[in-house]
Amino acid sequence: MKGVKKLVNKRVKCTGCSLLCDDIIVRGDGLYIDEVIGACLKGKEKFEQITGKNRILSPLVRDKGELKKVSLDTALERSIEIMKESSKPLLYGFSTVSCQAQLKGIELAKSINGFIDSNSVICQGKVLNTAKEMGLTLATISEVINKTDLLILWGANAAESIPRLLNKILFSRGKFRMTGREIKTLIIIDPVKTASFGVMGVRDLSLNIDPGKDIELIRVLKEECCTPSGFPADGVAGIDQDDLKRLLIQITNAENAVIFIGQGILSSQTSVNVVHELLDLVHMINIKQQKGRMSIMMLGGHYNMAGFDQVALSLFGKNHSLQFFDNNLVETSETIISKLSKEDFDCSIIVGTDPISHLPWKLSKALMSKPLILIDNKKSATFNVADVILPSSLTGIECEGLAYRLDHVPIELQKIVNPPNNIISDEELLSKLISRLNPI
Amino acid sequence: MEMLVNTVRMVDYDQLKEYSFGDENSLKENLAIGIINPEDFEKLNLTTSLNLKLSNEDGKVIIKVKQKEDVPIGTILMPVSIWANQITGISNEQLIFKNIKVNAETTRDNVLDIEELLNIIKK
Repeated sequence: MKGVKKLVNKRVKCTGCSLLCDDIIVRGDGLYIDEVIGACLKGKEKFEQITGKNRILSPLVRDKGELKKVSLDTALERSIEIMKESSKPLLYGFSTVSCQAQLKGIELAKSINGFIDSNSVICQGKVLNTAKEMGLTLATISEVINKTDLLILWGANAAESIPRLLNKILFSRGKFRMTGREIKTLIIIDPVKTASFGVMGVRDLSLNIDPGKDIELIRVLKEECCTPSGFPADGVAGIDQDDLKRLLIQITNAENAVIFIGQGILSSQTSVNVVHELLDLVHMINIKQQKGRMSIMMLGGHYNMAGFDQVALSLFGKNHSLQFFDNNLVETSETIISKLSKEDFDCSIIVGTDPISHLPWKLSKALMSKPLILIDNKKSATFNVADVILPSSLTGIECEGLAYRLDHVPIELQKIVNPPNNIISDEELLSKLISRLNPI
Repeated sequence: MEMLVNTVRMVDYDQLKEYSFGDENSLKENLAIGIINPEDFEKLNLTTSLNLKLSNEDGKVIIKVKQKEDVPIGTILMPVSIWANQITGISNEQLIFKNIKVNAETTRDNVLDIEELLNIIKK
């Protein structure tokens, strides 16, 4: 019938978080999405961002303190001017863009003698850095679904940060197991009784550890693994002796255990390397374990945080903090934190992130004091202070690309609808900047 | 009163959600907050019309307070936002987002808007 649009169901992937769920159904006519089925709250919001209030729909340039709408050409030219005047450019973000855009970001950093870092450096990258020295046993989501009988959330509130994770790994039946939730034990180690505690059953173990005492618990578990001498009568780190015994029995007897590392443990202490001790514990258990193994899974929030680590590692053998000079990678011990602390940069190119909200105000102040180019699809605190804003399309909805899931499995993202105002992708924007910097 | 601040990400108090679907007021209402145990609420002599001023060597911020029994005594949970980052700092080249020591006191002063905060940071 003429005038009635034909709605089609399409199975797509969701970029609401790093789980990249591949079982979301969108119903639409190819031009608009009418309904999203099966997504969690975060996923639903991601799809709704197409028409979100904070969507950036046109390029903007700051003129006499005010942001003014300009053509893409003008915004690109202003960006090139800033980059050409700069001798120490800083590129940061890249965890909510495709791997192709990350690749272009590195290419841009290379061509302007820049320093490039991703959000991973203040998040899950800490685990990879430590793993360089001592190795890392990882697991994939499929392995967890099919084999795991012990899940440990350590400083991770999966129910709110990656809402469908527990749905998939805890309340599922594995291919190699006849049973599901009833044989899976969940242990949560967290000082706060988070929403994740809501899924605990009778066989599970909730451990409300004292804030910042993770290291004490890990060390005592390591000691007990080597030379069992019994736990102190008054417990450790706020956890009583009986619970410590139950914890030890669980981690040493599980056939297939996975520790999910969250920001809670990554940021719990800065004076000691908690991650190093934790990986050491996993290593010790795996040596002792006769019938199974223990693995690690990093719960990064942004949908392609793992992607930047993969791209940078595959190109340069270094997962973050890349400094270029004369088109070559040079050795540096700097990170985005030290660069901003020392104000060792003279302009910044921020891609798909909001450092003004995410970083301590002293670092934000440093960023605000130098010209800032923002490539993003949504308004944020960083938008409020940027000098040039280049709008980009939503990867996985308005343009395609590759992303790495939290378990470091590559997932191809698809285009579902056209972007508004013919906005181009992060990858295309970065390509345009590179080609204008280096005209043939 | 000395307390510990933990920055957290929660579905109900999510920065991205507020930017996308809220406005400047909802952003402030849902992000410039601290969630504390009701016992601490009493100890601080707070009422619903009063705010909480947090200060430490890294900075200071004024927030609204919500109560929740699940929060450990002596702890304040703050959603990740520009407000929480007024009191976060750096130690050993690592950002401190958890177990941040602060002095908490009741105040009648108002919670600042995002624009006001940005202007203060710029200065």
